[in-house]
Amino acid sequence: MRDGVSRRRQRGRRNHIRCRLLVFLLLAALLLLAVIFAEELCPYDPNAQIFQPLQPPGGGHIAGTDRLGRDLFSRILVGLRTSVFSTLALVAVIAAAGTAVGVLSGYCGGLLDGWMMRVSDVCLAFPGLVFALAIAALLGGGIQNAVIALAVISWPKYARLARGQTMAIKSSDYVAAARLAGDTAPQIILRHILPNSTGPILITAVLDIGTMMMELAGLSFLGLGATPPTAELGSMMSDGRSMLQTYPWVVLGPGIAIFVAVAVFNLLGDTVRDCLDPRNSHRT
Amino acid sequence: MKTRQRKTDSVKRNWRPARLAAACLALLLLAGCSAGGEPSQGAAGTTFVLGDTTFNPENEELDVNPHNAYSGWACIRYGVGETLFRYSDGMEIEPWLATGYRLVDELTWEITVRGGVTFSSGRPLDAQAVKECLEHLVEVHGRARGDLMIDTIEAEGQTVTIRTTQPRATLLNYLSDPYGCIIDMEAGVTEEGIVAGTGPYVAVSLRTGEELVLTKNSQYWGGEPGFDTVKVLTITDGDTLTMALQSGEIDAAYGMPYASYPLFQNDGYVFSSCATSRAFFMTMNYGSAVMQDPAVRRAIAMGIDKERFVEELLGGHGYVAAGAYPDHFSFGGGAVTAKSYDPEGAKAVLEAAGWVDTDGDGVREKGGQALAIRYLTYPSRQELPLLAEAVQATLEDIGFAVTIYNTADVHTYRSDPGAWDLYASAMVTAPTGDPEYFFTTHCLAGSPANNGGYANARLEQLAAELSGTFDPERRGELAVEMQQLLLDDDAFVFCSHLQMSLIAQADVAGLVAHPCDFYEITADLRPAA
Amino acid sequence: MRNHILRRLLQLIPILLVITFLSFAMMRLAGSDAVLQKMENTGMVVSQEVVDAARAELGLDRPFLVQYGVWLARLLRGDMGTSYISGQEVLPAFLSRLPATLLLAAVSILLTILFSIPLGILAAVRQNRFTDYLIRLASFVGNSLPNFFVALLLLYLFAIRLGWFPVLSREVTLQNVMLPASTLAIAMSAKYTRQVRAAVLEELGKDYVAGAKARGVPFRVTLVKSVLRSCLATILTLLTLSVGSLLGGTAVVESIFLWDGVGKLAVDAIQMRDYPIIQAYVMWMAIIYVCVNLVTDLSYRALDPRIRLGGGQR
Repeated sequence: MRDGVSRRRQRGRRNHIRCRLLVFLLLAALLLLAVIFAEELCPYDPNAQIFQPLQPPGGGHIAGTDRLGRDLFSRILVGLRTSVFSTLALVAVIAAAGTAVGVLSGYCGGLLDGWMMRVSDVCLAFPGLVFALAIAALLGGGIQNAVIALAVISWPKYARLARGQTMAIKSSDYVAAARLAGDTAPQIILRHILPNSTGPILITAVLDIGTMMMELAGLSFLGLGATPPTAELGSMMSDGRSMLQTYPWVVLGPGIAIFVAVAVFNLLGDTVRDCLDPRNSHRT
Repeated sequence: MKTRQRKTDSVKRNWRPARLAAACLALLLLAGCSAGGEPSQGAAGTTFVLGDTTFNPENEELDVNPHNAYSGWACIRYGVGETLFRYSDGMEIEPWLATGYRLVDELTWEITVRGGVTFSSGRPLDAQAVKECLEHLVEVHGRARGDLMIDTIEAEGQTVTIRTTQPRATLLNYLSDPYGCIIDMEAGVTEEGIVAGTGPYVAVSLRTGEELVLTKNSQYWGGEPGFDTVKVLTITDGDTLTMALQSGEIDAAYGMPYASYPLFQNDGYVFSSCATSRAFFMTMNYGSAVMQDPAVRRAIAMGIDKERFVEELLGGHGYVAAGAYPDHFSFGGGAVTAKSYDPEGAKAVLEAAGWVDTDGDGVREKGGQALAIRYLTYPSRQELPLLAEAVQATLEDIGFAVTIYNTADVHTYRSDPGAWDLYASAMVTAPTGDPEYFFTTHCLAGSPANNGGYANARLEQLAAELSGTFDPERRGELAVEMQQLLLDDDAFVFCSHLQMSLIAQADVAGLVAHPCDFYEITADLRPAA
Repeated sequence: MRNHILRRLLQLIPILLVITFLSFAMMRLAGSDAVLQKMENTGMVVSQEVVDAARAELGLDRPFLVQYGVWLARLLRGDMGTSYISGQEVLPAFLSRLPATLLLAAVSILLTILFSIPLGILAAVRQNRFTDYLIRLASFVGNSLPNFFVALLLLYLFAIRLGWFPVLSREVTLQNVMLPASTLAIAMSAKYTRQVRAAVLEELGKDYVAGAKARGVPFRVTLVKSVLRSCLATILTLLTLSVGSLLGGTAVVESIFLWDGVGKLAVDAIQMRDYPIIQAYVMWMAIIYVCVNLVTDLSYRALDPRIRLGGGQR
């Protein structure tokens, strides 16, 4: 079935993927390092309101200063940490929980599936803002509570996705073959269903990083966000909203930072997906 | 490698459909775009379009019926209705639809109604019309009923005689509140909420929260109005309002975000700004242990840099406050002395009271308790979160630890004395031009908004005197004395007064901001010569 | 099949009950009420008596369960109540916003499909080449920009700089929907392009593609007939989720473009604690999601015969 050229091609492709994986892992590590040591890398104290407000980028301030006379570059660095950590936590939780529910629901079917999907209907249909208000009142402000509020309302997306995947894979020939060969349900789920459904879920998850960063900021007006003076990229962008025409750097700086984070994690996600792809490993 | 090359080649050859699709898409977009037309033109004649952020149900301005919640604001702002008396630029009472008044005794007011004025319904304005209107007002409007304390109204020719249930020194002020717009009750209120008033413009159509269309009242008693048609558009989004003024789709804007001001500070536009009595102020919570220490309150009052807030953070679009009222009130501005920003002095006050930073973490302690305060505020006024962060920075320099609770659910927190220490809000302090309102609503034992639980026997005594005093001069003196008490106790810190601005295209004249915030569209508004 | 659909629609009733009760309870937990919110907005303090009277008039002084009971009893008689804020009847107020929301949702989905499927396929067949990287980069940009940013950018470009569109466009017309729909479509296309690319790549790696090529079937035919068809399931799941949230309205975009849809209505109502409107919104969302799921399930079955067999076992 495979000729020599194709085999060589496969090997070349694997090497290429490994190479890319290394590059993007390095980039991600660099980003994480920058984020972890944000405070040390800051040229100024990110909370010190000591400069002339709204200075354009250049001069002593690479990214300019904000309305309160703080160095924007320092705030972007520190804000990147707040945003990246809370968003990664959020996306990891909802992707894992959603996938678990979806796979179980799709595999078992029947009553369990019916109930799970009704619960997810309720969560999807429920206005997130109402829920966030209640969380803010019950648990108080702070970014961790914003993560909780968003997690509760966002997992069903992954459940739906995983369920769809599971249903398709479950009825495929190789799962039938595995079942005939005596594989138990957990084995089938772990060996066939999970590896084969990771692709779309992983892509959705990394794509969600940017969206969730903004969603987290969207709750800040309820008091459900980073407590001042902590910097956070999403809120920095939305606070600067009406300055888009007059002082654009206040919005663009955090925007570029979000873009960099999104791009790095997405590229890494793609590569990881390529590595995880069962077809790549089957063909070794 | 070779095969791959071949594959992409074949792809290239076969990829026409995609290009075709992309071209179709571009065409579709272009078609959608080129269909774009001009902003809708008004009827024949001159049209003035005002974009306003506040004319909506959320502000209780549903229509132009002054007897409905706060809709009187829209009634008076957009030139539909007028009141018996009005405020001068110095916020003093002057006649408007009335020509004068006589205080017969403490309870009886004799008001002369202006002759030669007709409602837009065609009915002449007389004492009977005023009586019908005010009687209906106090029947349906709870706030007006409580303010006016009207017992009976008698009408004879052009003379209205109002008896109040108890001495009401501020009756004329309350009659000048937008709810006091005199409308023709015989013409009534349409289903849309349109009424017949006496103002320069007549409402012809209204969609709540969207738009109001008015035409010129050619019979207007105060001269010929300058435009044939006026349109008021509700635009709640500040950025949309900005762009609508830039594109020329609106001729003037109310409620422009400060950040957009630089776009209009040129020859193409005219600004009219003034201070309103909406004050940004802090209330100290007497129910919290740490705030009961006078030194702590004093240090906070000395640790707030009001000048920087106004000059740098608001870009100069505000007015530094001393007391509760802005400068143009006789009893406002510099009539009282407030503590100025003095971080070193604040530190000294705290040292002297035993608040010292013993563990070197930058936060002072006393008796094992850290000098930590919870700062409560809400986000719906864009300046408040900004003020919070600025105050946080200066207070932390002095040795406080400040946690900000910026929450939309401020009511729940506020009513719990154990949940906060310092509350920053933006409230109107003298909506009727009279000082009494602020004290009765915020500072006395029974005040509905005395959030901090402030109590001062001397203040109660002066408040009682104020409510029985008819002489405006004496009222002013009392107001000064009472504000000074608040400041000496450090129970309140008044940071700034809101600047209200109307921005108009340069081809519009006569749009002038007024300190009471509710005279906007008048007969003076006209195309610039 | 008909029974299946009927059963699914019947499940709406318990969901509606649960969800309306939950939203009622949570709004109660969230504190404040319409009377206090209005007071805060006007910046004026009124006496406790006036506040109490206003509360009594709206029935807000009653215990929570009674309020819910009253609301439910009215609903069963077909009365959804009147808004606490505008005094309008809820049902007509709500229904009058639906055309705008439906049009916006439909056009944005259409634009998203038009953008993302061709771009996604293009990126997949040019995997790891310049075109692919360019498309992916664009999708990261689209993914990092918040809605308001794209909206203001489009408005600035097309309304102020080019003057092709008016800034203020309240009427629900095909022309006026273009900018708000493009705003939403840009963000969604950024996601879908990547999903399509991934799904197509996955299919392209399968043996049948190589088989088809070996048999001399033109690549274009394989792409359209087999590859696209097989990745439709994934795209469909995501698309239905988007349709749901689009039909729920998009408050930010609506308020920037003065687009009178249900999203802004709902967000305003939540902020003002306008319970009757919130309840109507919550019910609308529940109906959407149940219907959307039903359609998804049915189309899975139609698209993929294997699931039809699997479903038959139930």
